[in-house]
Formats: sequence, C-alpha cells, structure tokens
Amino acid sequence: MTAKPIEADRIWRGIALLAAYGLPIFFILLPLCGFLVYSLFWVEGTELHYELTLVNYRRFFTDEIYVPVLRQTVVLCLEVAGLCIAFGYPVAYFLSGLKGRKKYTLLMLLLVPLLMSYIIKMYAIRSILGGNGFLNRSLIALGIIDQPLTFFVFNLNAVLLTLSVLLLPFAILPIFLSLERIPKNLLEASADLGGSNAQSFFRVILPLSLPGVISAATFVFVLAIGDFLTPQMVGGQSGFTFGRIIYSQFGTAFNWPFGSALSVILAAVVIVAILVGARFGGEKAGVHR
Amino acid sequence: MLKSVIRGALPMLAAATMLAMSSSAPAMAKELRVLAWQGYADDDWVKAFEKETGADVKVVFIGSDDEIWAKIKGSEGKDFDVMAVNTGQLQRYIDAKLVQPIDLSKIPDQKANQLPIFNDLTKVKGVMRDGQLYAVPFCFDSIGIIYNTDEVKTPPTSMDVLWDPQYKGKVLAYDNGEHNFSFTALTQGVQDPFHLTAEQMAAAKEKLLKLKPNVLSFYTTADEATQIYKNNDIALVWANYGQQQVKSLQDAGAHVAYVNPKEGALSWLDTWAVTVGAQDKDLAEQWINFLMSKQIGAQLTERTGFGSTTAPSSNAKPDDKLIYVETVEDPTKRADLWNEIKAAQ
Repeated sequence: MTAKPIEADRIWRGIALLAAYGLPIFFILLPLCGFLVYSLFWVEGTELHYELTLVNYRRFFTDEIYVPVLRQTVVLCLEVAGLCIAFGYPVAYFLSGLKGRKKYTLLMLLLVPLLMSYIIKMYAIRSILGGNGFLNRSLIALGIIDQPLTFFVFNLNAVLLTLSVLLLPFAILPIFLSLERIPKNLLEASADLGGSNAQSFFRVILPLSLPGVISAATFVFVLAIGDFLTPQMVGGQSGFTFGRIIYSQFGTAFNWPFGSALSVILAAVVIVAILVGARFGGEKAGVHR
Repeated sequence: MLKSVIRGALPMLAAATMLAMSSSAPAMAKELRVLAWQGYADDDWVKAFEKETGADVKVVFIGSDDEIWAKIKGSEGKDFDVMAVNTGQLQRYIDAKLVQPIDLSKIPDQKANQLPIFNDLTKVKGVMRDGQLYAVPFCFDSIGIIYNTDEVKTPPTSMDVLWDPQYKGKVLAYDNGEHNFSFTALTQGVQDPFHLTAEQMAAAKEKLLKLKPNVLSFYTTADEATQIYKNNDIALVWANYGQQQVKSLQDAGAHVAYVNPKEGALSWLDTWAVTVGAQDKDLAEQWINFLMSKQIGAQLTERTGFGSTTAPSSNAKPDDKLIYVETVEDPTKRADLWNEIKAAQ
C-alpha cells in the first residue's frame, strides 16, 4: 500500500526532471551543436561536402572583411547598450519614484511596444527618419533647419538610433527592478546622516542599482548583435553588420557551413558578453551584501 | 528511473504519431503547396482554383531568387509542389534535379492561349532540356531605370546615369550581387554579362564600389523601394521589378517614368515548374493550366504591370534590347564579392 504513491511520486519527479533538462537540451543545446558541426563542413558550388575541416574558420580570420565588420558591429552594439542605459536609467528612476497604481500602469505602457511586430515598428521608424521623413519635415516646419538633415538617414547612425529605440524597454526593466529592490530605510539613513539628495543618489542608489544596469547592458548588447533586419532596413549602403553577412551566407551565397562558422563566432562573442556581464554585475552586488 | 519514464513515453508517442498520420492521409482534401511571387497567386484565382478542383491551396510568397533556392534546395523540393522561377534560375534546379519534366498534354491551354512568341516552347530559351519540358512561361518584364521626372529632365539612355555625381545619395539600388555584376558589365560593353572572366569581374567590382556614394539604400522588395521613395529625395531607381514598381510608385503619387537602357536591359521570364517532391503532380499541372487563361493573363498585367504570356501588353518597346537573365558563372563568388562591396568603407 505504501509502495504505490512513492512509485507515482518518482515518475512525476522523473517527468519534471526530463522537462527541466530535456527542453534546454533538445531546443537549445542540440541546435547549437548542430551549428558547430555544420561549421566544420564545406561547400563547393552548390555541393555540400560532409568532411570535417577548419577552412571556414580560417577564412574568417584571413579574409579582409569579416574581422573588421565584426569589430564595427561590436562597437555599434556597445553604443546601442550605452544609449539605452543613458535613456533607460532616468525613465526607470522616474518610474520607481512613482506611487501605487500609477507606477505599474506606466510600466505596462512602456512595454506595449514589445507586443507589436518588429517589422511594423521598423517601417514606422523608417518613415520618421527619412530625408523627407517626419523628423526632418517637423524640424523644417519649426524653422530649426532649412535643409533636411542626412546624418541619420540610411547609415550606421540610423541603425544605432533604431536599435536603441527598439531595445529601450529591455534596458528599462532590469534597472527598474534593481531600483525597486533598494530598501527605503537605506535612503532614510542617508538623509538622517545629513546626505543631500545628490549624495544619496551617487553614493547609495547608483551603486546599488549597478547590477541592474549591467544586466540591462548585457540584454541590449546581446539582442542588438543578433539583429540582421535593422541594418538591412535602415542601414543604407554603409550600415553593413555581421548579422547581414551571416544572413547572406544562408540566402544569397548558399554557404551554410560558412554561415554556421560565423554564427558560432557570434555565439562566442555573445557568451563572452554574458559572462562578463554576470561576473561584473555579480561582484557589484556582492560588495553590498 | 529515467529509463522507466522513457519506456512509458515511447509507446504513447508512437500511438500519437499513428493517430496523427491516419487522420491526415486519406480523409483530407488534396493539397497544393505553391511557392510564388506576390501577384502570381491572387486570392480570387486561388479561390476559383480551389472551387474547380476541390483542392486546398497553400501559397507562400518569396522576396528573392535566393529565397526560392534556399527553400527548395533546403527541403530537396519536398516542401512545395509547384514554384514560380525565371528561366535563368531554372537551370540550376534542373541541374540539381529539384524539378521534374512536365506533361504538356495536361496543360492544353498553353497551346490555346499563349502569345506567338511563347507558343512554341521549343523556341523559348531555357525551358526545355534534352527534349523534356521543365517549365511553362507565365510572365515577363525588363529591368530598366525609373527616373523622377521632376529631377531628371532629360530621359536617361544608359545605366551609366546611376554613377552621375549629381545624383549623389539619390539612387535606390537593388541588394543582389548577381544582377548588379551583370548590369555593370553591360555598361562596360561586355557581351556575355552572365559569364564574366576574372578581369571583367574585377572591373565590374571596381565600378560597383564607385556606385556606393550615389546609393541611398539597397532595397529588396518593390514595396520597400516605394516606401523609401516616399520618405526621401530619390532621383533614380534601378528597377528590379520593372513595371510593377512603376505602378506602385505612381499609385503612391510619384512622378516617374521608365526607360530600358540602350546597352540592353536585363529581363526575366518567369515560369511555373513542378518540384521533384510534388505530392500530386496532376494537381500541380492543373494549377499551371488554370493560370494559362487569357482572363488571368489580362488581370495579371492590369494588377502588377507585368507582361503576360497569354494577353497582349506593352511592357517593352518593340526595338528595346532585352537580355534574358541566365545562371551566372559562380553565384557564390558573386555573393561574396557583393558582401565585400557592401562592407567597404
């Protein structure tokens, strides 16, 4: 009589374990390994050769375009992360200072853009940024400029701006959460000890919210570096990024192994970014514990 | 413990699979999976065809030749039954045995309705090989220059106008290495732009690098080009989608005109082909026959601006030089060179 429930219990625990380990293994780890294996094959014309070789990786390091484009893309994505923090932090700070229902209503409003299709947002941004787009026409109508500005029209600046706008919610959320977790009595203590508002902010709030800032930066960087549509849509002739090259290997060039090798390299960059973020963010949090 | 879970789960999984298979196979209606360009499988045609045959039609629209290749080659032809493809591209599908011969007797409307230049399929370059028919022509167009009549006062005569410094930042070019090398080679007087020698390729690359400062953006679809045109100051468009693009721009209120370059306009002839993975070859041929009606041909021209192969249209002047695109010597090489051009600062 006692054996049966235990047996059922064990089965359930087995299923839970299978779900916990099985899903990530089947849907994340195995596809990634697939990329890794594919990156060791090679292509000749339209023929795929299933022989192991490092030729794709050698090509990445020796060809004159791939490393510079990757470097340029990493710099771009760091700038995107920087912009998102610069604009996201004040918003998150303002939000966390609000009281009650207003706070969460505003937070929800900020997250609404995440529900919209990426392509629609991109088209909207493109009609705002164009040479005769909304922004230029508004500036001309207001008499601020008389010729349309071109520095944000179909170039890397446009990519930077668009990615920052699209990814801003991903920066606001983690910063907001880390600000929310700061105990109010710390601020009261700071005030009691004669600290001004600025002092409280720079010596208490900012250090304590840094883990949130780091994870926000990591989020934004990782999402930005994997993006291949934004540069195509708003990058014009100069906004060429690493994601575009990978995309072209699977479409135009039909060189899946080389595309896989480039993806593996990109994955390595992303993993390094996440590790750096985790380590840096963790240390900061640890100091104050 | 894990073992017992798996042992328990396997029969269940097998049972579920069998259940799914038995319910899907015979009872369901016939299904036709179509891979097509926008405008080749409009809703009303699809509905009429479904009504006529009782089949269930699933259409997937593509945005580029490369996407068709990736989809068809990626599934070895198993994901689609019938596909739209131009005569140049068709050759590599025949080479790779991704398409199968078509039985023309199942497509009686081809003989009955097609215009004289397409009626004798043995005389249409590229659709036959070794006495077998692999594709039926559907529509055609040329790749000319669209120019903004408010800005470009004298109609251009050659693609060389795209390099004119006065149009700096006002040119919309197309994001495709193959075509860009071909049309550039034509401006350099090359006879066969589809099979470039190493020197011709290098010369075309040099010239394309010099095109970049004039280009505002490289577009991929006609809709995209129209949207960019509306929000920017554009003088010239390399019109990959020909009349379709002219129409789209005019609908958007743009003042544009169209001209085929004197060195020869790259042109395409789109066809329907049946994949080797076709589930129901008869149904695929019925689909092709259905699209050979004069009414659909006229509707096609009216809606998209393409020249139909069944209804007369005026897509090219009689003395225009049209050069039907062929498979290029090395698509991968051209794609790599195009990436280098785009990556250049």
